[in-house]
Amino acid sequence: MDHHEQPAPLVPPAPLSAVELTAMRRSLTDGRLAVTRRSLLRAGGALAAVAGGAAALSACGIAPAGRTDAALTVDHSAAEKRIHFSSWTQYMDVSDDGKHHPTLDAFRRRTGITVDYTEDINDNDEFFGKVQAQLANGQDTGRDLIVLTDWMCARMISLGWIQPLDRSQLPHASANLAAQYRNPSWDPGRKHSYVWQGIPAIIAYNKRATGGRTVDSVGQLLEDPQLAGRVGFLSEMRDTIGLTLLDMGKRPEDATADDFDAALARLQKAVDRKQIRRFTGNDYTSDLEKGDLAACVAWAGDVVQLQSDNPAIGYAVPKAGYMTSTDNLMVPGKARHKENAERLIDYFYEPAVAARLAAFINYACPVDGVRGELAKIDKELAENPLILPDQEMIARSHSFRALTPQENRAFNQKFSDLTGA
Amino acid sequence: MTHTETPRSSGGDVRLRGISKTYGSFTAVHPLDLTVPAGSFFALLGASGCGKTTTLRMIAGLEEPTTGTVELSGRDVTVLPPYKRQVNTVFQNYALFPHLDIYENVAFGLRRRGIKSVKKQVEEMLDLVQLGPMARRRPQQLSGGQQQRVAVARALINHPEVLLLDEPLGALDLKLRRQMQLELKRIQTEVGITFVHVTHDQEEAMTMADTVAVMNGGRVEQLGAPAELYENPATTFVANFLGTSNLIQAEVVEAGGEELLLRAGDAKLRLPARRCSAPARSGDKVLAGVRPEKVSLAHADAAGTLAEGRNRLPGRIKDASFIGVSTQYVVDVPGLGELAVYEQNIERDGRLVPGAEIVLHWNPAHTFALDADQDIDAGADLDEEAA
Amino acid sequence: MTTTETPAPPERPDTADSLEIRTTPVRKRLIPYWLLLPGILWLIVFFAAPLVYQASTSLQTGSLEEGFKVTWHVATYWDALAEYWPQFVRSVAYAAVATVLCLALGYPLAYLIAFKAGRWRNVVMILVIAPFFTSFLIRTLAWKTILADGGPVVGALNHLHVLDVTSALGITEGHRVLATPLAVVCGLTYNFLPFMVLPLYTSLERIDPRLHEAAGDLYARPATTFRRVTFPLSMPGVVAGTLLTFIPAAGDYINAELLGSTDQKMIGNVIQSQFLRVLDYPTAAALSFILMAAILAMVTLYIRKSGTEDLV
Repeated sequence: MDHHEQPAPLVPPAPLSAVELTAMRRSLTDGRLAVTRRSLLRAGGALAAVAGGAAALSACGIAPAGRTDAALTVDHSAAEKRIHFSSWTQYMDVSDDGKHHPTLDAFRRRTGITVDYTEDINDNDEFFGKVQAQLANGQDTGRDLIVLTDWMCARMISLGWIQPLDRSQLPHASANLAAQYRNPSWDPGRKHSYVWQGIPAIIAYNKRATGGRTVDSVGQLLEDPQLAGRVGFLSEMRDTIGLTLLDMGKRPEDATADDFDAALARLQKAVDRKQIRRFTGNDYTSDLEKGDLAACVAWAGDVVQLQSDNPAIGYAVPKAGYMTSTDNLMVPGKARHKENAERLIDYFYEPAVAARLAAFINYACPVDGVRGELAKIDKELAENPLILPDQEMIARSHSFRALTPQENRAFNQKFSDLTGA
Repeated sequence: MTHTETPRSSGGDVRLRGISKTYGSFTAVHPLDLTVPAGSFFALLGASGCGKTTTLRMIAGLEEPTTGTVELSGRDVTVLPPYKRQVNTVFQNYALFPHLDIYENVAFGLRRRGIKSVKKQVEEMLDLVQLGPMARRRPQQLSGGQQQRVAVARALINHPEVLLLDEPLGALDLKLRRQMQLELKRIQTEVGITFVHVTHDQEEAMTMADTVAVMNGGRVEQLGAPAELYENPATTFVANFLGTSNLIQAEVVEAGGEELLLRAGDAKLRLPARRCSAPARSGDKVLAGVRPEKVSLAHADAAGTLAEGRNRLPGRIKDASFIGVSTQYVVDVPGLGELAVYEQNIERDGRLVPGAEIVLHWNPAHTFALDADQDIDAGADLDEEAA
Repeated sequence: MTTTETPAPPERPDTADSLEIRTTPVRKRLIPYWLLLPGILWLIVFFAAPLVYQASTSLQTGSLEEGFKVTWHVATYWDALAEYWPQFVRSVAYAAVATVLCLALGYPLAYLIAFKAGRWRNVVMILVIAPFFTSFLIRTLAWKTILADGGPVVGALNHLHVLDVTSALGITEGHRVLATPLAVVCGLTYNFLPFMVLPLYTSLERIDPRLHEAAGDLYARPATTFRRVTFPLSMPGVVAGTLLTFIPAAGDYINAELLGSTDQKMIGNVIQSQFLRVLDYPTAAALSFILMAAILAMVTLYIRKSGTEDLV
């Protein structure tokens, strides 16, 4: 790294780096950036899907999202040694030749259960639209295990579309789940879900763009005139509002509608003053890398990857606290292989397996006792608090409270207005 | 432009000096000098690819000559773009503007020259070509013949010094073509503009033009009035391309006088010395020619009754086809090959049937002779191919 | 003409001849409809049915949990329009500007390909289409690199003080282009340019070059030839190109999302957010309908105005 006075020319329009590509690929498909061609299709498709065919068309209405009697589900796990696992892209370890998932192969060798792993979840809302009709009608979606973000899990659990898990099948999971994740308000006691990965939302900045200064609070993001026009916030409502609430001394765990409005007003002020450049999905990574964004709210997993490519990228965990959302494993209603799915969940809570996964995908690992295993793979990663949070880090972690459907709708409406649409 | 009632403009003359056109290594037109007199109806006749259209386009300014100059009415226009030349073109397939109606097509040239009130002239012109009622139609709603007349009107309304016509009748059927030939000739006579007409149809050229230039391989083979070309072809190409010729390999036996004496096979042929376009000394090879309609047939039995002094060849009728006004015979002449004979059906001799031994005879004055160093079949089949 | 030879044929309805005359055409007349059937079914299933469904959705009220019922709540339309008219206006404005830019850039390009490119025609053509080989999203993201604050383009524009002018006009923001109206319009223009070039090229290429010669022969200078002959004859391409550019551009949301800021959001972004985030399906459906109706009205007017029906 050179120490010239003047900032090095901000990134020339070079080919996209691997991280950016990865981020982009994810952003193309990630629900956090709901800008995908597919989501456009979905806009049309949702109608049709929600319709559930021509019958609903003539009925002219959308049936209320009903409850599924999950108890009636018959488990075929013993007879059919397989499991259908739907997840997101770039969310599983991959062998060097790109054709295998070593952890899943190891699982098969050990248990004889074949995992049909499909990366067919691109967007929480899109996926919801896709399975909504089936789950509402108490039908099998063909999936035994799905990964969705916590607020969507909350919605689906409250709709009764998720099978409760059998604790006795989950010795490792119940023992090793990190304490901070054990009791979310939307699934007390983790009866229906286990964390796949934690997604801390923190502050990242580009030292070249800030002139070497650190940016370590949301207040600074919102008010520092030197950052004017080069600040990014996430288009993910809970992360952006949550961090703002924390900076205002409020706890997102029990924020009221007034608190929400206050945070929103604070953000609106920054938008009006042109302090905030954009609300972004995953595409913030390339902006930050180039220095178009000097500082922004960022997801920790991206930060780990960005830092490994670009030493100018720094991050800060705000003293006031940060938001951690989670992606969670769940067994949807009528899934045929619940027990197999539970064995797979439990398998990923074995520290050695969790370490392999964490080393590969760099998100916050929700499993206790992984440090030693991860150190065997990569010492540096094992010391990275974004992957394996230390006590101080854990103490500052917050999550958004479960919102009622009415709140969800109202908050999202207001947040959409904030972001211009 | 004047708005006065000028008399129909008389045409200008066209002078091409040393004009040529090459595309890469291909020479479309060899250096060429040509003068088209003012007010004449001039035809450039030749098979496709002979350079006639290229020559026309160089006059129009649509092609830039590789060498040489183009003069219109004594003014060098070689470097002028088309829109600055007092020349208009009737394009092959007409190139009418499909987005404009007939009226606007015809008015196009006037409007481009800034003439505001075009109504009277356009209507007059449409009347001239008998398309008055069609003024508001689009070109694609007209028949081929009507489109052709629009193309002529669109060009003529500008009173160009020279009107160029590029195969203007090529797309019409035979009957309509005949009609339009007369029509064009009438218009030309009426307006007095110089017409340069490109065609591959020798009959069309001969019917319409005062002067015909026969082109072949980028060169003018012969230039002259139609009858002159027909009667006195200077090359085998002209002899074959214009009508049909019987060409016979012969050797000069006697030269120097008013008459040449030739030997063809065993026969002796005579012709006026001035009708031999090749230098002829005793012993030289020439091609003796005679048009089929000049030749008469006599049954071998009647050979003795023929007048003295006629050229004669003995032969046998190989084929006879009756085509109404005449009968066309193919006669096999031993040692000389097949000759064609067109006999008027006036007094038909019943003995003249295939297989009959006969004597061909004709007036020596109708014989011509050409340089033997040419392809004897040049231009023979081109007419049909092109048509 | 003699009439003796041709007595009128008596009516013989019972003969095989007349039977055939009557039946064959019927069967023949049906053939086109059979051939149309797949297309019609396709339209019904993927266009008409969703449209009807969308119409019904826009007239519903309710929530995801309680279900949506048709209540003929037409007010959704007024509310949506009242709330989001700025985004509507913005969408139309951006799309219109992008269409004009596409025409300004695309016409010379199509002209060159059609008349001047010669044997390079196919190469240039492929270059025009080449961007389609990557995804829309990647192409748009690439513009974030091109227009990066520290990139050479913005550097040059700043050096020439162009951005001072554009910022004063409100189409850029300070010394940057990204996250401004200019960036969004650039993205739209770039992304839809091929939709302009291809129809333009097709209609230019169809023009008989002899028409240009004829115009020149009839005293039209090159510029006049273009104005009086080439351009009018390319009108079908101009109309098709502007429609193919304007319609998707007006409904686009990706350019605004990636290259714009909060003040550049278009109606597509609103529809998307109503559908996906707010789960207010009726409002989203109503917005879609308003957009569709507005575009349809504009297109109809445009085609009438341009008077190209008989040329198309």
